[in-house]
Amino acid sequence: MNLSLSILEFAVIGAGLAILLADLWTPVPQKRNLGYAAAAAVGLIFLASMLMQAAAPAYAFEKMYVLDGLALFFKRFFLFAAVIVLVMSVEFADRIEAGIAEYYALIMFALAGMMFAASANDFILVFVSLELITVTFYVLTSFQRGRLHSLEAGVKYLILGALASAFLVYGIALVFGVANTTNFGELMGSARVASARPVFLLGLLLVLVGLGFKIAAFPFQIWAPDVYQGSPAPTTAFLAVGSKAAGFILLLRVLFSAVPEITVNWTKLLMVIAGMTILYGNLCAIPQRNLKRLLGYSSIAHAGYMLLGVAAMNSAGSSAILYYLGAYLFTVLAAFTVICVVMRGVEGDDISAVAGLHQRSPLLAASLSLAMVSLAGIPPLAGFFGKFLLLKAVVEKGATQPGCYWLIAVAILGVVISLYYYLGVVRAIYWSKGSAELSDIKVSWPIQVSLYACIAAMFYLGLFPDRLVNIAMEAVKALKL
Amino acid sequence: MKLEIIPWIILFLPMLAAAGITLFTLKSRDQSARLSIGAIVLGFVLSVFFIAVNGWGPLKMESVASWLEVGPLQVDFGLRLDPLSLLMLLIVTGVGGAIHIYSYGYMHDDPGAPRYFAGLSLFTFSMLGIVLANNFLQMFIFWELVGLSSYLLIGFWFERPSAADASKKAFLTNRLGDFGFLLGILLIWDTFGALNFSAIQVELIRNPQALGALATVVGLLVFCGAMGKSAQFPLHVWLPDAMEGPTPVSALIHAATMVAAGVYMLCRVFFLLDASGSNALEVIAWIGGITALLAALIAVQQNDIKRILAYSTLSQLGYMVLAVGVASPTPAMYHLTTHAFFKALLFLGAGSVIHALHHEQDIWKMGALKNKMPVTFWTFLLATLALCGVPPLSGFFSKDEIIAAALNPEHGSVWLFLLTVGVALLTTFYMARLVLVAFFGSAKSHEAGHAHESPKVMTVPLLALALPSAAGGFLGIAHLYGKQLGQAHADYHVLAMAVSVGAVIFSFAFAWGLYWNAERDPLPEKIGALARAMRDRFYFDELYEATVIKLQEIAAAMADWFDQWIIAGLAVRGIHGTTELFGRALRLVQTGNLQTYAFLFVLSVALLLFFVL
Repeated sequence: MNLSLSILEFAVIGAGLAILLADLWTPVPQKRNLGYAAAAAVGLIFLASMLMQAAAPAYAFEKMYVLDGLALFFKRFFLFAAVIVLVMSVEFADRIEAGIAEYYALIMFALAGMMFAASANDFILVFVSLELITVTFYVLTSFQRGRLHSLEAGVKYLILGALASAFLVYGIALVFGVANTTNFGELMGSARVASARPVFLLGLLLVLVGLGFKIAAFPFQIWAPDVYQGSPAPTTAFLAVGSKAAGFILLLRVLFSAVPEITVNWTKLLMVIAGMTILYGNLCAIPQRNLKRLLGYSSIAHAGYMLLGVAAMNSAGSSAILYYLGAYLFTVLAAFTVICVVMRGVEGDDISAVAGLHQRSPLLAASLSLAMVSLAGIPPLAGFFGKFLLLKAVVEKGATQPGCYWLIAVAILGVVISLYYYLGVVRAIYWSKGSAELSDIKVSWPIQVSLYACIAAMFYLGLFPDRLVNIAMEAVKALKL
Repeated sequence: MKLEIIPWIILFLPMLAAAGITLFTLKSRDQSARLSIGAIVLGFVLSVFFIAVNGWGPLKMESVASWLEVGPLQVDFGLRLDPLSLLMLLIVTGVGGAIHIYSYGYMHDDPGAPRYFAGLSLFTFSMLGIVLANNFLQMFIFWELVGLSSYLLIGFWFERPSAADASKKAFLTNRLGDFGFLLGILLIWDTFGALNFSAIQVELIRNPQALGALATVVGLLVFCGAMGKSAQFPLHVWLPDAMEGPTPVSALIHAATMVAAGVYMLCRVFFLLDASGSNALEVIAWIGGITALLAALIAVQQNDIKRILAYSTLSQLGYMVLAVGVASPTPAMYHLTTHAFFKALLFLGAGSVIHALHHEQDIWKMGALKNKMPVTFWTFLLATLALCGVPPLSGFFSKDEIIAAALNPEHGSVWLFLLTVGVALLTTFYMARLVLVAFFGSAKSHEAGHAHESPKVMTVPLLALALPSAAGGFLGIAHLYGKQLGQAHADYHVLAMAVSVGAVIFSFAFAWGLYWNAERDPLPEKIGALARAMRDRFYFDELYEATVIKLQEIAAAMADWFDQWIIAGLAVRGIHGTTELFGRALRLVQTGNLQTYAFLFVLSVALLLFFVL
């Protein structure tokens, strides 16, 4: 037992509990500021994670838990995302009737779940960490108890999530039944023998269904728009960034460290799923007027792009996913931070609410525009380079798999379609006629700091991608590619 | 600090000034003016210092930095320092400096003055870039920058439609020439695989037949660039309209420097034009001659003081191009230099008059300014005499060399010689007309009756420019250019001198008879239709309007139709519509009904398993 390996997770859980406790003694008007304390605590843990090294993989809990470069990369990713989401939550606090401290704490518990997921090396830990994430999100999505939309989102997520979990756990049971182990390392040895039996494949596919639900891949994306739309903005942001990234790390682990021999046979399947996800997300986003729903569809499309990296089945593809997630993190968080600030008192999150935003707050307008441009994948922003790396990986794969060129065509078609609705948002900001509301928007300094950080990161990653690319390349060495 | 850094400083000072003004001092007229004037005056001082220490070169300072490499194309960013570029450096910073200072007085009341000074500095930077460039690409970049800054300055009063149109016209006409220039550069690169001037020259000396059949084409294409910038027929139409800009801009850009860039470039690449097998020079000589004659004729019947000077500039540029065409780059550069002095002086004098008369530019509304504006009058007269070629003023020497070169049987011809003499006659005539009408006689308007001399900040630059205008013939300029470009032929000087002085006397007497104390122009009555044609600039604008511009409009209308119906309509809207339809159809799946969702979910799982297993 090597508990010290998971010290970051324990620190996060401890901080979450501390926030819950502190809530008891904090006077009501001060409660929302607990969020800053939480953000500071998570920020400190993030800094501490920078000191950690993972040259060689280290195991804990009977090899259920692994700490390697990949795990550390994702832990840092989740920690950073959580800091900004917490800052956002403070901004959102006045729209939550009661229990704001619990909201903060739940975000931290979900964070802990994501961090465990990053280290999962066993189907049991996969299931437990996923449940930790999903169950806290059931609560987080429906936290605005007064709003029908929020409750509806919570219920939908709960029921469909339970369905997905059922498939997942059923699949795990089948895998265990055949292979007699749930550990990835041991599975790799026995998978070749077991793969002859359809039941084993059935089990794996059901596991994939569960993970596909988490990342909102076609055809399991159906929940995403409704839940994204109805949830409180910080929850949506965390769902889009954290929960999706957790799905991806688990997908990478299962596909490329548990059963790499079987995955190879599924190239076509993954390609089809990636292409369909891209098309579905982008096409459905076109008619949307609700900004959060639009980003919901957009997040489906982005899951599709990242699945390109999975389908490429090479280390270039996987490292591109990591890079893409890094870029996506800053971009999406910037977008949701702006939405969180602007949509105060706006019913329906309609796009028209951002009309004339450049007159009300140039910073917010610039952040949202840059986020949209980056999501659309226009240079020199981070989003461009992410897409470039993913497509490059697929092109490399194209040498052996001619179907890849079709996939690239689909991906590029998706990018073109997406320009339409992303730039539609930019147009709504700057070129709307006759926007009703033109009062200045006050932006608190923590929000300003996180926006500036996101903008700087978008430009930095777009202009100087080398560093993150190298880190990502280093991290995916943990996978068997 | 190494001395080599000085030219770099000179080059980049104006750019820094332009950047500083646009970024920081747009609100303050005085600070902007100080920055801009400081940059160019410092540049002048540094140039003098550099030449004093290093001599006239040629200095090997090329390929200072490799700027970009694309495949086999390697482009350096370097400065070329030889007598040609160093003298031009002095002219640009010297004459330019005087004009900058003058502008401070002239633009005193204009609210846009900071923008004006930013434009002026940007222009100086671009012009210095052309002068110092050591390869074609670098030159082309600055060439375009000059076009841009000229556009900004001509259109400085953009709220006036005439100024906006003029700047557009100048820009487009220049682009037309630049297109040819660019083609020429591409051909050169294709042939030599290099863009550096000296590399090409070396290659051409090693293998004189390198260009082969393309020699003439390359020469003419490069000349296209000069045709645009130096406003040679048939691209001359933009220069007179460019007088819509503030008068100091006309002096700086459209008299002393930018229009000289074409001639400078021709001299810089003269080895290319002169390559064996090339007939380009002949065409160049005739284009120059035609321009000189045409412009001089038009100038005779113009009434706007600045337009007269503009056509005079055109005519003199024609002289210079002609000189290049008869294989005498030294007289061309010599005339360019002296012309820069006295034409800048003429424009600044005109500006001084215009300033005093509250922006009245019609010479028939002036008169009797001689005593009211003594400094302006005397300097203007001096520059006029220099332009006409009265000995011993600077213009006499340089013009004389050109006339002599035209006589040289090796490249010139009797016809070219007669052309130059005819132009000399006309030059004296229209300049005498201008001076007699504007400065002598009686005051023909209320403003002219109450004119006052301009402030010191404007008259001092006049005096400063008067000095080289007068003494330019004795400074050894021709010798310096000769060191690099080859000495001029000394053979026919006596004949040329006699003819040109005779032309001045004859022509002046003629003008005196017609315009002494004239209240209006007697010429139209005497020569009728010809005078009208001259006044209307031989209908070139109308001709272009009817042909080129009409054609272009028809093409534009067709392109517009294609864009609107085929591209925007069928292609864009069609694809957009289909895509959106898909989006809306898929949206129907998203009913919001939980039972449906769960059903679809399970159905998907079933289908997935069905297909894979």
